[in-house]
Amino acid sequence: MTEEQNIQTPIIELNGVTKEYSSKKNFLSKGETNIIALNNISLAIQKKEIFGLVGQSGSGKTTIGRLLVKLEEPTKGIIKLNGKPTNKLKGKALKHYRSKVQMIFQDPYQSLNPHLSIAETIIEPLVVNKIGNALTRRDKVLETLEIAGLSPGEDFFHRYPHQLSGGQRQRVAVARAIILDPDFIVADEPTSMLDATIAIQLFQLLLDIRKKFKMTFLFITHNLAAARYLCDRIAVIHNGVIVETGSADKVIKDPQHPYTKKLILAQPGFNFKN
Amino acid sequence: MALLKVENLSVGYKSKKGMVNAVNNISFSIEQGRSLGFVGESGCGKTTIGMTLMGLLPENASILKGDIIFNGNNLASFNDEKWRAFRGKEISMIFQAAMNALNPVIRVDEQIAEVIQIHNPAMSKSDVSNQVKKIFSLVEIPEDRLRDFPHQYSGGMKQRAIIAMALACAPKLIIADEPTTALDVIVQDQILKEIKKIQKALNTSVIFISHDIAVVADVCKDICVMYGGHIVEKGTREEVFKSPRHPYTKTLLGSYLTLDSYEDINVPEIREAPDLITMTGGCRFSANCNCKSQKCQCQTPEWVNLSSTHQALCFEELLNKDKND
Amino acid sequence: MKKIEKKPEHRNHYIERFTKSWAIFIKNPMGKTGLIILSAFMLMAIASFFVPLLGPVYHPMTGADPNITYSTGPSLQHWLGTDFIGRDLFVQLLEGAKVAFIVGLSCAFISVVLGTAIGMISGYAGGIVDTILMRIADIFMVLPSLVILLILASLWELSIWVIIFIIAIMRWPSVSRIIRSQTLSLKSRPFIEASRVAGASNFRIIFKHIMPNVLPLAFLYMTFRVTSAILVEAALSFLGFGDPGQVSWGMMLQWVWSSGHMFQAPYWLLPPGICISLLTLSFYMLGRAMDEVLDPRLRKEEEEE
Repeated sequence: MTEEQNIQTPIIELNGVTKEYSSKKNFLSKGETNIIALNNISLAIQKKEIFGLVGQSGSGKTTIGRLLVKLEEPTKGIIKLNGKPTNKLKGKALKHYRSKVQMIFQDPYQSLNPHLSIAETIIEPLVVNKIGNALTRRDKVLETLEIAGLSPGEDFFHRYPHQLSGGQRQRVAVARAIILDPDFIVADEPTSMLDATIAIQLFQLLLDIRKKFKMTFLFITHNLAAARYLCDRIAVIHNGVIVETGSADKVIKDPQHPYTKKLILAQPGFNFKN
Repeated sequence: MALLKVENLSVGYKSKKGMVNAVNNISFSIEQGRSLGFVGESGCGKTTIGMTLMGLLPENASILKGDIIFNGNNLASFNDEKWRAFRGKEISMIFQAAMNALNPVIRVDEQIAEVIQIHNPAMSKSDVSNQVKKIFSLVEIPEDRLRDFPHQYSGGMKQRAIIAMALACAPKLIIADEPTTALDVIVQDQILKEIKKIQKALNTSVIFISHDIAVVADVCKDICVMYGGHIVEKGTREEVFKSPRHPYTKTLLGSYLTLDSYEDINVPEIREAPDLITMTGGCRFSANCNCKSQKCQCQTPEWVNLSSTHQALCFEELLNKDKND
Repeated sequence: MKKIEKKPEHRNHYIERFTKSWAIFIKNPMGKTGLIILSAFMLMAIASFFVPLLGPVYHPMTGADPNITYSTGPSLQHWLGTDFIGRDLFVQLLEGAKVAFIVGLSCAFISVVLGTAIGMISGYAGGIVDTILMRIADIFMVLPSLVILLILASLWELSIWVIIFIIAIMRWPSVSRIIRSQTLSLKSRPFIEASRVAGASNFRIIFKHIMPNVLPLAFLYMTFRVTSAILVEAALSFLGFGDPGQVSWGMMLQWVWSSGHMFQAPYWLLPPGICISLLTLSFYMLGRAMDEVLDPRLRKEEEEE
């Protein structure tokens, strides 16, 4: 399996990606302070893989997700989708890119427009990409709701976000992300706002979707245990630099970098020693 | 005698749809120098317990029944004035959002000194500043950072300052409500160690509230598991986490991811949150429970003693049936 | 078929929101009082359409009573009395209510639509567009609107619609400032970003996602704009620069003054004065009550349930 993957072009490739934020002080003082959020990041994500990006707050892990869905552009470096560079896409090409790369956001209470019904929210990607007509769209939404575990779909169709629980809202976000049948989904801490029992169900949903639709995921998390449960490979990111990459098992059982070791040691577990 | 004894406490919130029974008929006690953990998911009532013990319930909430006996005083009957003198001195709290609990325009040491002075008006200035220094060395904030403003602190430092503030008057009981939820794992680990160390050093009692069972297991010797406003299982941490008996505790543990236990994860069914307004007689967990017994839906379960310290709120035969499976 | 099915559901959401807000609104004593006073004025404005039908004598502008050649006090025939050429004051008062509504509402509408559109574009676009639009807003904001109106009115005879338009042009900047800051905070909300990731155009994001979220605020500002527009028009008319072919409360006061009845005819002076105060007060109270409906703390409670 690994051999075949090595020959394939990776679905997503980051080559020496750097992202700097400059904060101009003001008109009068000319000095500019640059904050380096990402420093020379290189990554390759293979098809059908769930790739885990583990890091603490401020490590730059969310910035990578935002770069991949084109909410931001890298300062330096190249991002490739299926081998093609994607820097500075505009107009149609950007729209096409976005239909291939979708995102699930962290906070399900913030990522759904409170004024739109569930149906309107999920249908939006179809509408803006002009796919199907009113009838086929409706069927597609119902089907997607069922896949996301919101069944029967008709029950949720006309509801509004405030009538749903956190877990249900995140399923709506998942449905919105998969409705265009994208190749690649960025999941940015999709369960950090959810209870453990709800989170594990959402993980299961992501695993099911991967199996059914052969989608590739980038799973961004601060939780090593969750990354191990869900991911095939893991990259550990610290202060904008990837310090360690490897199979999930290997990174956790045999960490090489001192930061990874520190992270693993700090994980709370059920060892009642004191 | 127990330092704090809570008996048959019920707390409700008034809402447009009716009374929300956030905490329902719970009893527990804590001895001097012990640590008690409340664990449960959002909406289980654990934060309400903390707020009740601090006398900080919001306006639309009230204690419906029950007693809170702390050192011979019944806190349930306290008025605002009594609370003001009491709060922070005898019981203090470590809040979740460290960044919001500190005043951004006052130096950190002054904020702590103020807490000491409020409760000890007779104390001299030099005594107060000595006390502040002592507390800061306890939470391991270097002395040259004392005069800083809160924004100059990192997240972990702020949380330490909050702990220092809680310790200012050497309270007998500290309530920590999700004190590490907003922190990174490595910082969380340091703060948890800090709390354990301080608890030992000062022989303070700690009530630790969290949704993260591993964090609670790390800090607390005694555990209460909460669901839908009820305590459903209580015991020592070994009893509750090594041999859980209540179906909810099992679900909770079964779906918790750790670095070692990632393979034997049970994915629970899609679960509905318990309705806290309409009070049916049955067990609150019955709708989501695997046992699906008729009895659970109409009859209120009783406490079953499993050992001298371990109890579960369920039906005895169901607990045993489950064991045989 | 799907459209037909979807529509009522969609409306339901807004009806539900409206009824919820209405419940908070009507509980507020200010809102209730404001609404009652406002309804009374509305009846007056409606009545102004029918009274002239009673006879040529009851026309507010031209209906001078041939039997009366000087200002008279209240009588059975003229409930509030007549002005110096024998026109019915009550009819003029009714006409004034109508004009006040037209001036207030159309001014508010124009300035709020303009302000909301500019505010949303400015906040959403950011950068150079934002800077330019906001500097223009600043310029308009510091212009003394009454003085400018007075200068223009002394140069040309302005009709009531031109006056309305000028007041509206002077009043949009404060609305757009508020809407802009609201848009700025909405822009970085994940649901807007989610929509961008889905491929939505800027146009769609502004009108589908941002507008429903800023509309309540815009509506609140509309009530405050009404108040200021009525006051500006009244001041202008009183100073003698109003539309000379149009009766309004300000114009009535101007006539009291210019005909020298200021201290002789309280039945003429007081009603328009009281009406101006009461109407602006009622809109103000309405706005305050709506403010409470829009209070984020109250909204939060609603969401948590």
